Amino acid sequence: MRGQGFGFIAPLLVLMVLAFNLPILYMLGLAFWDKGRGFTLEHYEGLAEAPVYLRVLGNTMRIALIATIANVIIGYPLAHWMRGLQNRARLIAIALVVLPFWVSILVRTYAWIVVLGNGGLVNRALQWTGLTDAPVSFLYNELGVTIGMANVLLPFLVLPLFAAMIRIDDRLMQAAASLGAPPRTIFWKVYFPLTLPALAAGALLVFILCLGFYVTPAVLGGGRVPMISNLLDTLINQIPRWEQASAISTILLIVTLLIFAAYRRLDRKAGL
Amino acid sequence: MIGGSIWTRRALATVGVLGLVFLAVPILIVIPMSFSSAKALTFPPPSFSLRWYETFFGDPRWMDAMWISTLVALVSSVLALVLGSFAAYGLRRGSFAGRDWAEGNFMAPLIVPTIIVAIALYLGLARIGLLGSLVGLIVAHTLLSVPLVMMVMGVAIREFDPRIEQVAWSLGASWWYTVRKVMLPNLAPSVFAAWIFAFIGSFDEVIVTSFIAGKYDTVPKKMFNELILEVNPTITAVATLLIGLTVLALAAVTVILARAGKLKQTIV
Repeated sequence: MRGQGFGFIAPLLVLMVLAFNLPILYMLGLAFWDKGRGFTLEHYEGLAEAPVYLRVLGNTMRIALIATIANVIIGYPLAHWMRGLQNRARLIAIALVVLPFWVSILVRTYAWIVVLGNGGLVNRALQWTGLTDAPVSFLYNELGVTIGMANVLLPFLVLPLFAAMIRIDDRLMQAAASLGAPPRTIFWKVYFPLTLPALAAGALLVFILCLGFYVTPAVLGGGRVPMISNLLDTLINQIPRWEQASAISTILLIVTLLIFAAYRRLDRKAGL
Repeated sequence: MIGGSIWTRRALATVGVLGLVFLAVPILIVIPMSFSSAKALTFPPPSFSLRWYETFFGDPRWMDAMWISTLVALVSSVLALVLGSFAAYGLRRGSFAGRDWAEGNFMAPLIVPTIIVAIALYLGLARIGLLGSLVGLIVAHTLLSVPLVMMVMGVAIREFDPRIEQVAWSLGASWWYTVRKVMLPNLAPSVFAAWIFAFIGSFDEVIVTSFIAGKYDTVPKKMFNELILEVNPTITAVATLLIGLTVLALAAVTVILARAGKLKQTIV
């Protein structure tokens, strides 16, 4: 069938070019063009001059990094533990990871308002155990946003990591043990290096998703934790500055695609 | 399994269970809250009532949003299913220049941050005067659902033995007849799974919808707008209904794929 089959993708290709590629090109155009003057970098100069943009960028990077690290710290042991479970228990654990993955991000974010609020479950527990007297404010600050994002994105790390872990042959560890390696050595010298590509790929994926996150910072940050997405929302919907929004979107798009290219390389390695 | 002391294994189990609890907490808290009689969000609820469900079903604005959500999800998921399945077939069976590029482009809406898709569509639709139109909304949801369909159908078609199609052709069946009578019955479970994923994806979509839907409210868009303004317990009822919808849909997918023996290849 050499040279054949194009007809099958043609309808979708037309839709994607018209409704996806063209709008993105148009956005790139707005970022680099100025009426009557042609190509310009003016919109980027505007970005470098306004400290608010740099602060939001720094904020976003920091929160994304912390949420990613939190994901690795919770997700790696979770996936590793799931690997060792027996059939039924493992199925239940998989279901508990897959279900949140499909439940609306909005719903899961909203629930944290209930859990983390001043009269919420966590604060009541803290006060009941006497750890604090006054409620700790988790909401409408970076802490709440980070907790919410780590929660929403955890399945993105755990599912591929778990899939990579169950592909590792138990006999490799048994061989190491039969040669006299203690469990700690087996874990760090045999098991962990084999899981590293999948872990790195998952962490990059989570980081990418964090960079463009919109719902969770908007809901749990209450406007006090601005991230790139929320800044873009302001520039489009509140003070219309489309060129500036396009310029920031272009940077975010390029950064995302670069990290994604790195992810693809690691993911291919993890799949071998 | 790697050995290690009993303490290592206990510590690992504790961390694992805590991780699962962390994942499940939002879902487990919202459901009982939606049956609360109190106006404030206190847990556990003081007493049982259905008042927030009554508020939801009695509010014409929520019912309108429900209708728009269902309409957009139905039309866009069917469009994505048809276009995406044909494209997946062309990509798996065909060989033409730029195949990898086309596949990358079809999967791109999953990778490009949704906020960027939202802004590009906002600018593009504003340019051609379709901002705030139902057509624009449906097209947007369709292209966001395409990658979900392609993931499921791509695997299903790759696993389907091409010799079976070749036998049908060699016996004189037309291409269209082969698709209808040979492929579709065999791939039906995956087609159903792909459609469900596309439907849920559209029904839950909030970012692009908030940017381009104009006067149209979908359930997530209205929910998002109300969340920003105030804490309203009606949202807990909406959230519980959305969780229920997801659980039902996933259960249906699991049962149908498990019966066809395709569960493992689709999930992992």
